[in-house]
Amino acid sequence: MSSVLKAQKANAKGKRKADEMDVDDVEVVLPKKKKNKQRVLMLSSRGITHRMRHFMNDLEVLLPHVKKDAKLDSKSQLHLLPELADLNNCNNTLYFEARRHEDLYMWAAKTPNGPSIKLHVQNVHTMDELKMTGNCLKGSRGLLSFDKAFDETEWGKLTKEVFTHIFGVPSSARKAKPFIDHILTFSILDDKIWFRNFQIMEKDPSQPNGPPQTTLVEIGPRFVLTPIRIFEGAFGGATVFSNPEFISPSAVRSAIRKEQGTKYGERKDAQEDSAIRKELRKRDEDELAVSQVFA
Amino acid sequence: MERLMKALGDDGLDDYEQMQLHAVLGGDEDEDDEEDSSFTLENAADTADDNGGSESEDGSDAGEDGEEDEDEGEDSEEEEDVALDDVESIDDDAVPRQKIEIDNTVALARIRETIQLDASLPWTETLVLSYPDSIDVDVNDDLNRELAFYKQALHGANAARDLAAKHKFPFTRPADYFAEMVKTDAHMERIRQRLLDERAGIKKSEDKRKEREGKKFGKQVQIEKLKERERGKKEMEERLKGLKRKRGDMLDKPSGDDDGFDIAVEDAISDRPAKRGRGAAPSGRGGPKIPRQARDKKYGFGGAGKYSKSNTRESTDDFGGSSRGGRGGARGGARGGRGGSRGGFGRGGGRGGGAKRLGKGRRETARSKR
Repeated sequence: MSSVLKAQKANAKGKRKADEMDVDDVEVVLPKKKKNKQRVLMLSSRGITHRMRHFMNDLEVLLPHVKKDAKLDSKSQLHLLPELADLNNCNNTLYFEARRHEDLYMWAAKTPNGPSIKLHVQNVHTMDELKMTGNCLKGSRGLLSFDKAFDETEWGKLTKEVFTHIFGVPSSARKAKPFIDHILTFSILDDKIWFRNFQIMEKDPSQPNGPPQTTLVEIGPRFVLTPIRIFEGAFGGATVFSNPEFISPSAVRSAIRKEQGTKYGERKDAQEDSAIRKELRKRDEDELAVSQVFA
Repeated sequence: MERLMKALGDDGLDDYEQMQLHAVLGGDEDEDDEEDSSFTLENAADTADDNGGSESEDGSDAGEDGEEDEDEGEDSEEEEDVALDDVESIDDDAVPRQKIEIDNTVALARIRETIQLDASLPWTETLVLSYPDSIDVDVNDDLNRELAFYKQALHGANAARDLAAKHKFPFTRPADYFAEMVKTDAHMERIRQRLLDERAGIKKSEDKRKEREGKKFGKQVQIEKLKERERGKKEMEERLKGLKRKRGDMLDKPSGDDDGFDIAVEDAISDRPAKRGRGAAPSGRGGPKIPRQARDKKYGFGGAGKYSKSNTRESTDDFGGSSRGGRGGARGGARGGRGGSRGGFGRGGGRGGGAKRLGKGRRETARSKR
């Protein structure tokens, strides 16, 4: 029922929007304005754990151009997402998909035309952890730093571009603050993308009167992304890149379980074998045995 | 070409080959697309829509698609249908067993071009920085890895400050600019508390360790002190004993100067007797330093040697008995000297002097008189 309503709403809004879209569609950046207009729709699937939820909240609080939407009902109908993004006036979508209440996948997509990148999120440390002592203005625009490895591969370049759109706060964002006090770093290491967020401090807190020297304090969150696939379209379309290194976490877990299973199986086999060998070692009755002689 | 391959392929080729074929076709498409990039966009949009396959999309579709491309769009739909089927079947089959690497660089580059931001956009719009190095550390080495990230961020921050200065872009937050922060004050207070707790914990454990160490060491100190005290005691006794021996005659003859004795005792008791003795030129002693021979002569020497009592040639030849033993002579003399000091009378004196032994009666009377 709700989907029907949604569809109706989509039609109604879509028509209204259709006129506007022609004027300020972000894909067609008008050369005169030279504005970077990005809006990101962020939502998750059902079944996310509290940790994933906190992680999403962290991203939302860091990125003022993010519009957070309610959880998506079904995991199979990703085609709804571009539509939903359109409803919210967003040209990017960050969709978090939780599987089995433990694995988190992140879709970073340009809607409506793609591409979309599917990544596996691991090692999430949220901002709530007390070890990260930095702090920054809510809504200040963060710098984006990509390491050299992004420029070495074609998928890296594309990922960099998409992340620039999604994680870079545009100057025109409504809640953006005019100063810079934190930096988001993306680094490729071990075929994974590592994310860190640091506060930029102009002065060393240990010597407040000393010379201005830049120091960094981590704010959080931190996480590691493993690229899985890049699709041509938004949440679908032909695969243009697939990571051969990626092993799905469920496969890893089942391999571990299997290993534990083989241990048991091997032990059982060995027991059986030794029983057989014992049987073979048994000699037939001797004619000079005590029981024979003194019968 | 696609149709041809389809007719040929569906039964004859396995998934992998189909995949390769698809990649080749993708490449072909790309070449086409370079000629007509708007067509590519259509493809992409249609792909997204096809995947969903619901009818409600047509409305939004119409919004995005230009009307003039309608026929082209349909055309491409057919092609994409085939391609998509291929992809999906591969997805289902290939995931568990064989990994098919797809890296369609041409398509990736093309897609990137379509979404790329305007190159003439000023830096202040994107705030993107590239780190000129790649992170090349051991993944499992946490410290170095984080250090590498830190370096990257630091480089970025410094580069950004320069760029901001160039673009006249406000960078540093002024001290009087207050606004809501990402982490609330309550949270920051918790962080601060935790830091303090941590510091206190470290200090506590440090103190504890020091104490433990001190205990271990303190025992040693105690032992050392006791030993020292004992040694001091022993030394003192030794000194006093030596003094007593030296001053034995004084004790016997209390009429002698008491001052000298007192000073000597003080000397002995004080920690550094030698210094005082040297500085004050003690009256108790004969002089600053008497030579060895003289001292031997005066006080006697340590021992006479092993054969001091055995006969020598002289003693054997000597029948007179006036002087006993060539070797024992010196000793006898020394004893004699001492005996003399005791009053110039007695056995020792007699022996040393070689006096005649008196008769029995006279000896007894002398004894009773004493």
